[in-house]
Amino acid sequence: MAEAMRSDGIDPAVLAGNESNRAIAAEIAAIPLAPKLPRRFWWGFAAFFTIGLLFLGCVSYLLAAGIGTIGLNVPAAWGFLIVNTVWWIGIGHAGTLISAVLLLMRQNWRNSINRFAEAMTLMAVALAGTFPILHLGRPQYFYWLLPLPVTHMPWPNWRSPLVWDFFAIATYIIVSLLFWFMGLVPDLAILRDRAKSRGKQRIYGFFALGWRGSAYHWHRYRIAYYLLAALATPLVVSVHSVISLDFTSAIIPGYHSTIFPPYFVAGALYSGFAMVITIAVPLRHFFGLEDFITLKHLDNAGKVMLASGAVVAYGYLCESFFAWYSGDQFERYMMWNRMFGDYAWTFWFMLACNVGTLQLLWFKRARTSPWLLFALAFIINTGMWVERYVIVVTSLTRDFLPSSWQNVLPTWVDFGILFGSLGLFFAMMFLFVRLLPLMTIFEVQELKHELKEAQ
Amino acid sequence: MPVTDKDMREELAAAEPARFWRSLEERARTPAFRRMLDAEFPEIAERYATATDRRTALKLLGASLLMAGMGTAKAAEGIAPYVEQPENLVPGEPQFYASTLNERGYGMGVIVEAHEGRPTKIEGNPNHPASLGGTDPIMQAAAFSLYEPTRSRTVLKGNEVATWGAFQAEVAELRERALLQGGAGIGVVIGPNTSLTLQRLFSQLQQAMPALRFYLSDPLAGTPRPYAVLPHFDEAKIVVSLGADFLGEGPGRLAAARGFADSRRVRAGGQRTMSRLYCLESIASLTGAKADSHLLVRPSAMDETVARLATAMQSGTGDDAFTTALVRDARAAGNGLLFIAGERESAFVHATAQRLNQPSAGITHTLIAPVATAPADSGSLYDLVTDIGVGAITSLFVLDCDLMHSAPADLDVGAALEHVSSLYHHGLHVDETARKADWHVPATHDLESWGDLRAFDGTASIVQPLIAPLYQGRTIAELAAALTGDFVSSSLDLTRATWAQLDDAGWREALKRGVIADTAAPAITAPPLAEIANPVQEAAQIDVVLTPDPFLDGGTHAANLFLTELPRPLTKLVWGNAAELAPATAQTLGVATGDLIEIGIDKQVLALPAFISPGQAPDTVVVPLGFGRWTGEDSDTVGTNAFPLRRRGNAWLLAGARVKKGQGSGRIITTQEHHAMEGRDIVRDVPLAAIADEGPSAQEPPSLYPPYEMPEEAWGMSIDLTACIGCNACVAACQAENNSPVVGPDEMAVGHDMHWLRVDRYYAGDPEAPETVFQPVPCMQCEDAPCEVVCPVNATVHTHDGLNAQVYNRCVGTRYCSQNCPYKVRRFNFFQYQDFDEGSPLSLLMNPNVSVRERGVMEKCTYCVQRISAARIQSEISDQPIADGAVQTACQQACPTRAITFGNIKDKQSAVAREKTEPHSYALLEELGTRPRTTYLARVTNRPDEDKGNG
Amino acid sequence: MGRIGPYSKGNAVAQVFSSRANQIVYFVLYGALVLIILSPTIWIVLDRSFYHTGQFYALEQPAPFSHAHHVGEVGLDCRYCHQGVETTASAGLPATEVCMTCHSQIFSDAPILAPVRKSLASGVPLVWNRVNSLPDFVFFNHAVHVNNGVGCVSCHGRVDEMPLTWQEMPLTMEWCLGCHRDPGPNLRPESAEFSMDWQPVGDRKKLASELMAHFHIDTRTMTDCYACHR
Repeated sequence: MAEAMRSDGIDPAVLAGNESNRAIAAEIAAIPLAPKLPRRFWWGFAAFFTIGLLFLGCVSYLLAAGIGTIGLNVPAAWGFLIVNTVWWIGIGHAGTLISAVLLLMRQNWRNSINRFAEAMTLMAVALAGTFPILHLGRPQYFYWLLPLPVTHMPWPNWRSPLVWDFFAIATYIIVSLLFWFMGLVPDLAILRDRAKSRGKQRIYGFFALGWRGSAYHWHRYRIAYYLLAALATPLVVSVHSVISLDFTSAIIPGYHSTIFPPYFVAGALYSGFAMVITIAVPLRHFFGLEDFITLKHLDNAGKVMLASGAVVAYGYLCESFFAWYSGDQFERYMMWNRMFGDYAWTFWFMLACNVGTLQLLWFKRARTSPWLLFALAFIINTGMWVERYVIVVTSLTRDFLPSSWQNVLPTWVDFGILFGSLGLFFAMMFLFVRLLPLMTIFEVQELKHELKEAQ
Repeated sequence: MPVTDKDMREELAAAEPARFWRSLEERARTPAFRRMLDAEFPEIAERYATATDRRTALKLLGASLLMAGMGTAKAAEGIAPYVEQPENLVPGEPQFYASTLNERGYGMGVIVEAHEGRPTKIEGNPNHPASLGGTDPIMQAAAFSLYEPTRSRTVLKGNEVATWGAFQAEVAELRERALLQGGAGIGVVIGPNTSLTLQRLFSQLQQAMPALRFYLSDPLAGTPRPYAVLPHFDEAKIVVSLGADFLGEGPGRLAAARGFADSRRVRAGGQRTMSRLYCLESIASLTGAKADSHLLVRPSAMDETVARLATAMQSGTGDDAFTTALVRDARAAGNGLLFIAGERESAFVHATAQRLNQPSAGITHTLIAPVATAPADSGSLYDLVTDIGVGAITSLFVLDCDLMHSAPADLDVGAALEHVSSLYHHGLHVDETARKADWHVPATHDLESWGDLRAFDGTASIVQPLIAPLYQGRTIAELAAALTGDFVSSSLDLTRATWAQLDDAGWREALKRGVIADTAAPAITAPPLAEIANPVQEAAQIDVVLTPDPFLDGGTHAANLFLTELPRPLTKLVWGNAAELAPATAQTLGVATGDLIEIGIDKQVLALPAFISPGQAPDTVVVPLGFGRWTGEDSDTVGTNAFPLRRRGNAWLLAGARVKKGQGSGRIITTQEHHAMEGRDIVRDVPLAAIADEGPSAQEPPSLYPPYEMPEEAWGMSIDLTACIGCNACVAACQAENNSPVVGPDEMAVGHDMHWLRVDRYYAGDPEAPETVFQPVPCMQCEDAPCEVVCPVNATVHTHDGLNAQVYNRCVGTRYCSQNCPYKVRRFNFFQYQDFDEGSPLSLLMNPNVSVRERGVMEKCTYCVQRISAARIQSEISDQPIADGAVQTACQQACPTRAITFGNIKDKQSAVAREKTEPHSYALLEELGTRPRTTYLARVTNRPDEDKGNG
Repeated sequence: MGRIGPYSKGNAVAQVFSSRANQIVYFVLYGALVLIILSPTIWIVLDRSFYHTGQFYALEQPAPFSHAHHVGEVGLDCRYCHQGVETTASAGLPATEVCMTCHSQIFSDAPILAPVRKSLASGVPLVWNRVNSLPDFVFFNHAVHVNNGVGCVSCHGRVDEMPLTWQEMPLTMEWCLGCHRDPGPNLRPESAEFSMDWQPVGDRKKLASELMAHFHIDTRTMTDCYACHR
């Protein structure tokens, strides 16, 4: 048995302490069920929610005053909002990877981090979904991208990557939601049973869908959960590939590049895991979850980042190489402009963040010191956002005819929406932590159980 | 009838013009009609203070019909038919009338398109010598200035609203008194004006009041000459411009441009020779841009250089490449030699040009007596101020000019006008001069008034109104008549009286053709040459030279935002002027584009933002005139007024001007920020000698797409870069035809401009003496259009005849199409640019056949699809195929040099198909495989260093 | 793998939900399902409803003009009042004077004609309410239709049977395109353009193809967006 376990690659280090199942349940369920949380929790929430309001404010202004209020012009008709979309979708990917792919690969160490990673995915993708609509000139007609049975006969142009996009993102949101909820059911039942107040019992109870944890339930549950996982797995690859097609299939130098699909997916995981760490480190610190989110987790996450980051770096290399090797004057100028043009600093900043800091992750020391990792993750996420800016905006400002070249500057609305969306995201994470178990209680118990047997 | 058919337009123009007018006129006289208007449009009636005025009433008729057309479709939308249908007005059908526009006093013949009595679009009149069917941006913008909202609307006494009647009474009284002393004490200030009616009235006035004095205010006047030169470019083998921008300015520029372009239209099958243009200039100009060889000299060195050139012509040896080549060519050209001296060059330059021209007189040019623009003995502004000073002038009439704006610094017009006991102002706007006046009478717009004007060659034509005056406007003639004691005659009567020799048939003919037969000025023999010594000009460290803005005519059109926002041909500047200087000069001054430059004369100091503009002469700062004019309460002043830099005898080249870098920076708004082609194959040159005998040289690149099938017509366009002079008439025409909005400086600054067609300007070679090339870029209407693939909602799709149609009402505004357009010709409504306020007079300007686009919608050049549809519908009805030339795009029709050819490329005989088979025809960025329907004819060069053997 | 975790055994915890709770869940789930299936159907129906298209609804008019009387009984030709229909984009409404050419003679003092007389006297036009109304971004041209075998009835219906005029056809894009894609069945010979009661005789299909050929109708040219939107 023990051998079997090791062959499963479970490292005892993934869980510390040795609570009983009840204790585990108690510890994790404590947070959502606690009558009140320490004041600083609410201060944190209030801070982020205030920033979140900035998002709502700027969006309302944008809708009222028109798309001209954000930094766009005719060579560069796409701006911050598209950059945000790509970035947020990328963030989302980590969640799906952890929960679905690692589940199928029986990487049980994932068990204590998948729940909030999924929550993160859900919120990131939901946010990402709003930007393309806000970015329309006439957002009120976004539904014209659907084949509608109405008399004025709107019909999608199936050749357009934006249509693929539309469906890709929609699918992603739905699947992530189902997967996340599916995973919650048994825990909701636990909360239901541990809840003291009738109100909580009813609410948690309603969503627990009458789960009693019978063998029969578990049997059904496993099948369904693994099926969903299998469904979600291809999305990890497909969604961001489709997004990248928005650029790849355009003819603009800097967009028109075959390397994009793999390189976008890698980038997505890179930034995604960075975000997981950005969330995990404070969580384990403030809620004393060092026993559940152990250094082992951080170490693994660090390794994934190292791998995906390396692929991204390779992507940069390829892009530059092909630009030169193609011999195409437009491609060459594009790359030259990225490196030495008006926006050169963004390019070098991107390299510094995404390739430079990456090197630290070669060292176990770095991977296992939480706050250093946290800092790296933060820098890398910034770098990844800038990467998308370099691709989306700087390419546009210098295209084929020099006569139409023009730089573009973001407005305060752009920044308002970007930072506002971050605020909203973290505010929602706070609510999630408050209302739901931030780890899969039963899976952690299971893991514990297996480890016990392993010894 | 196809509204876009050129012949048809002429024919329509010829259609009994006066009747529609008259029938409405008659109706207007009936009280019933006036009651109808009050009842039918009360809201409009009260919007215009004077709605009961019968003339305003006529306009309201037009307004109402427009609004019926533009109102949004509601469940119960009111539709009001006529009570009595006006004769020959068919609702929904445009009408065309010949008329004449006034440009600095000279006549430009036009054909005006009107919808239900509202003029919406100006076209050139092919019969008129100054137009030959072409137009310039100013003409295209005329309809805009008609509806321009800040126009003066009522007669003012002081600041009180008064009436024309009251003004007449005032004038009558003044007249009583004045007659006793033969008009002593009365002064009349006029701008240049060639109208014979005015000249008739003025001479009457002078007979009645011998002591009455006329003063001419012509701030843009050039060097006076006893003759005018009419060039014949078809005969000239070698054209030499001595600081002359004959393509860019002057009342004859359109004719010159046509003649010049025709003399250089080289085709494999046809004409194989072209004239060669030598250009000696100090201010970058359209002419300089077309020169085959050009030499930049600072203004203060012009006379000296011309003198050296003259001696070289005799000695036969030049001391620089330019002169050497010129002398060689001149010898070879014999009599085919044409020297043109610039309007504002010194008398010496003119005399020299004249002497060098002598041998080819009558061949490459003819001389005529200059067309009179003012009464013979008119005084200058300096005389006016002196006369006022000594109390010789007590009552002053300022007719249609803004003295306060254009006065030089050493002339305190303001104070002088204060001294005049009664000042009467007449003009389109309540400008600074009007504010000083005791009385202000609104002027009529050319499209509202009867009158006559003479063209640069003396040909007279009638100014025919398309619409009754929108406000209480009066013509200068009516004011002059009032002074002569005629208070009843309308401007129609006055004009008719001038042309009494025309019987009704002759009059009608004149209105139809838009010109009065045999009124061109006769040729004269060259006047005896006065030998003028070469005046030595002391050279300052930096020359400061003024030049008229190409579009604002010294401030006349300052309120015309359509022109303010039109990119200047060379600098691409909009919404303001700048101190333009060559890169090296900027370096010596230590300024970059945008930095303020301080230009000082005496105590006067003017600060303008610098703009580095290659092609300006070394050590020279060029400042355009015409900006900074205040045109009434609700108007903003645009740019800096440079007139105050002037001194007596210092009109253009400002002697003793100090130039230094100023503090801070000013706003520069330009539509093109990059001026080099970056080694890309964008504008192609081909030496004359290198043109093959048959084409096409460019093979279509291979494509994976199937060849494009052409079931019926296949619309295509060819643009001849040799003929294009970069004047921007096409851009203006496109904007006027397609209801493109004016977006304002802030939007232009961030690159939200809405011109569907743009003229790209690139510099090549040495930045200190660059070669300047122009390239008009409309939508290429690609057969394999990148934009169509990516639109998620099928808002941009291909039509059977090869148009790349943009469906505004389908567009959701992803802007992906614009992203994917390699030519970046798509324009996006980032805000609600279109003024949907039907209360604004500008709503009358709209072309009812083109959708008015809303916020968030992409738009672009459509090859004027509304004109194509009109032609198609006619052909569907008549079952006749669309004839070649039946569809003209707005840009094509406006082009003075006929650089744009449009038509059905499937018909191999069509003009455009033949253009496309020329060896020097090429497609822009053809390596992208977009298969553009718009192609270019490479720029044929004829540089002196090109000819081996021939030359 | 059996039960892990402390789920409530039996009545360890009091019953949270009544036994009917399940039905609520089922209701919600099935309700959602039904809604998802139904909503497009509702959309399809509503979008084509007379309420939405405004068909068969006779608007109030300043004077109760009856096509039934003028066309059906008196037998006036359409072109008598709608003069532009054969030559221009808009069919045109009759000027007041056109009404009065007859009504100065007959019913010259009928009370229902008072508004018309008033209009002529005062010079104030009658302001009719538009019955067949298209959006501003649609450029419709009567002449091209009337000259190519599309009769008045095809779009306006039997006006000779309308006491007050109403909109007969949906005038939706779908409806326009239906004919633009396959005009044949709606075509009629020139002679019948303005007839109210023309009925095709013989083989309709054959007639259709004959007329298509006769009017040189090429549907490729009729489905371009710019045919209606400019």
